[in-house]
Amino acid sequence: MNRIAVALWNPIVAKEYRSRMRTWRSPLAMTIYILLLGGLGWAIFSSTASAARNSFNGGQAANYGQALFLWLVLFQMVLLAFITPALTAGAVSSERERQTIDLLFVTKLPAFSILWGKLLASMSFVMLLLLLSVPIFSLVFLFGGIELDQVLNAFFVTAVTALTLGIIGIACSTAFKRTLPATVAAYGAAFILLAGSLLFGLLFPTDINPNATKAPAPPAITYLSPILPLIVIGTNGPINGYGIRNGGIYPMAQGGGMVCSAGPNGSGSCYSNAVPIGKGSIGPYNPAQASGTTIPSGLFSGWQYWQATVTMQLVISLIALVLSAILLPPIRHLPWRRRARVAA
Amino acid sequence: MITVEGLTKTYGNRTALDHVSFEVPKGEIFGFVGPNGAGKTTTLRILAALLEPTSGRALVDGADVIEHPDRVHERLGYMPDFFGVYDQLTASEYLDFYASCYRQPKARRKKVADDLLELVGLTDRRDQAVDTLSRGLKQRLCLARALVHDPAVLLLDEPASGLDPRARVEMREILKELQTMGKTIVISSHILPELTELCTMIGIIDQGRMRATGPVQDVIRQLTSGRRLRISVLGQKEEAAAVLKALPTIQEVALVNGAIEAQYDGDDAAAAGILQALTAAGIKVSAFSQLEGGLEDAFMKATSEDV
Repeated sequence: MNRIAVALWNPIVAKEYRSRMRTWRSPLAMTIYILLLGGLGWAIFSSTASAARNSFNGGQAANYGQALFLWLVLFQMVLLAFITPALTAGAVSSERERQTIDLLFVTKLPAFSILWGKLLASMSFVMLLLLLSVPIFSLVFLFGGIELDQVLNAFFVTAVTALTLGIIGIACSTAFKRTLPATVAAYGAAFILLAGSLLFGLLFPTDINPNATKAPAPPAITYLSPILPLIVIGTNGPINGYGIRNGGIYPMAQGGGMVCSAGPNGSGSCYSNAVPIGKGSIGPYNPAQASGTTIPSGLFSGWQYWQATVTMQLVISLIALVLSAILLPPIRHLPWRRRARVAA
Repeated sequence: MITVEGLTKTYGNRTALDHVSFEVPKGEIFGFVGPNGAGKTTTLRILAALLEPTSGRALVDGADVIEHPDRVHERLGYMPDFFGVYDQLTASEYLDFYASCYRQPKARRKKVADDLLELVGLTDRRDQAVDTLSRGLKQRLCLARALVHDPAVLLLDEPASGLDPRARVEMREILKELQTMGKTIVISSHILPELTELCTMIGIIDQGRMRATGPVQDVIRQLTSGRRLRISVLGQKEEAAAVLKALPTIQEVALVNGAIEAQYDGDDAAAAGILQALTAAGIKVSAFSQLEGGLEDAFMKATSEDV
C-alpha cells in the first residue's frame, strides 16, 4: 500500500467500522432514517398521485415531481444535520473520556491520521445513509420535472454540507474535553450553518441600488446555508423575495419572478412570470430582480448557488480540519513554540 | 537507555516536577516510588512524549521526547495508570488494532497477538470482548498492548494497582520474564516490598523532587544510617544485647518478636565481626541474618524530611 492509501485507510477506520456495525444502533439508525424519509416521500407521493390522476397533464405532473423532490432534499438535509454532529461530536472527546486517547498518541499514528480515521468512519456512515435514500428519490422520476443533474447536484450539496458538519463536529470534539459541550457546540454550529445564515439574510437584507445594472443578490454569508441552493436546484428557478430589501416586491412563488435581460448600454428590461404568494400583488416595476439559477451580483456573481455554497463550506471545513490537527496532539510543534524552546 | 536531566513541569504557580534528573541503563528495572501527587505520572507522561516539560530534557534511547516523539514512540511501550478499552472488540482484535497502529505488517499481526496473549496468560480469552474482562485481565492485556511493537523500553504506571495478591504475583512474574528478554523497564508503584524484589534500581520522588536514585541497596544504604541484623539466641537475650551494645559498630539494639534486631554501621565484614563477638562471649546464636526490605525505611525517611 502506498503512503496515500495508508493515510486514507488507517486502522482507526477499520476499528470504527467494526465497532459501529456490531451494535444494534447502526441498523436502527438506518431503519429510522429510511422510514422517516420514505414516510415523507410516500405521504407526498400518495397525495399528489391522486391529484395527478384526476387532472393529469404533463406540466402539472412535473410540478408534483418538483414538489416531491424539493421536500425530500430539504427533509434529508435536516435529518443529516441532526445525525452528523451526533456521529462526530464525540469522536475524539469520547476517546478522552474513555481514557484511550493516550494509547493512540503513543502509537505511530500521526494526530492527523487519528482525526482522518474518525472523520472517514463517521462520514462513510452518512454516505451510506445518502445511498440508502437513492431508491426513495427515484420516485420523483415517475412524475418527471426533475433532471438527473438536479438530483446529482442536490446530493452533492447535501454530501458536502454533511461533510462540513462532520468536520465541525470533529473540531468541537477536539476543542472540548467532554462530549456534552462538544455536542452542544456542534449542534449550535449546525444551526448557524443551516438556519442562522438564512436568518442573517432576513435580518440584514441587501439594499437595492436603483442604479444597479445587475439584480441584487442576498448577502454572501447566506450562501453558507445549503437550503438556498437546494431550493434553487429543486425549483430550477431563482430565489426571489429573500435577502433583498423588499422595496414593494412581494415574495413570489417558486419558478416565478422577474425575468430580466441586460441591455447593451447597461439598462435592463424585465417582465414578470411569477405568481404572487398570498395576498397582494406584484409590486411596481423594479429592475432589480433575479432570474435563472445563478447569483446575479456580489462576491459570487455568475456562480451557481450550489457552487458558492460548496466553496464556502469547503473553506470552513479546511479551516476546521487544520485547527483540529493543531489542537489534537499532546505536544504541539508550532514554529514559535519551537523557537522559544531553543532560546530557553 | 533513559536519561532525564533537570526536568521541570509547572502548572501555573504549582510545580509538579522540580529539576528531576536520573538515568536508567539498558536492561535495568527502575522502580519509581513516591507518595500520591509526587510527580511519578507526570514524569512518565513526559517520557512517553504525552506531556511537554516546562524545562529540562528527557531522552529515550537517545531520542529527545520533544524533538522526536515519533522515534520515542517506536522505542517505548507505555501503560498508563488508568486506561479504558473499546467496546465490541475481542482481546485478539484489540491487540491486532494496536499492532496495526504501530504499522505492523498484516501477516505478522496474528502471530504477535497470539504470542503476547500467551505471554500474559490470556490465550483462552482471545475471543472474549475486552470490556467484559476483569481489571486484572485488562491490566495484563494492556501490558500485552504495550509490547505489540517489541519496544526496548517499557513505562508502566502503577501496573499492579487494583490487583488482587494473586494477580500481582502473576504480573511480577511477567515483568521478570520481560527483564530476561532484555527490556528496560520503568515501573511506578506504591507496593514497596514488590519493588525491592523486582527492581534493580530505584528512584524516590516526593513533592516533585528526586530524593534519591541509584541501585536499590545503595539507595537504602544512603538513606538509612545503617544496615539491620536479626539475631536469634538460645535464652541469654539480655546478655546478648549487652554484648552488642558494647560493640562500636552497633547503633541500635531492640527486641522484636522474640528476636534481637540490631542496626549497625559497616559492611559484611562488620557483620561477621558482630557474630564473632557474640560467639566469643559464649552466646548461643541460633540464627543470624541481614534484614532485607529496608526500602520502606528508606522511603519513609526520604519522604518525611526535606532532603
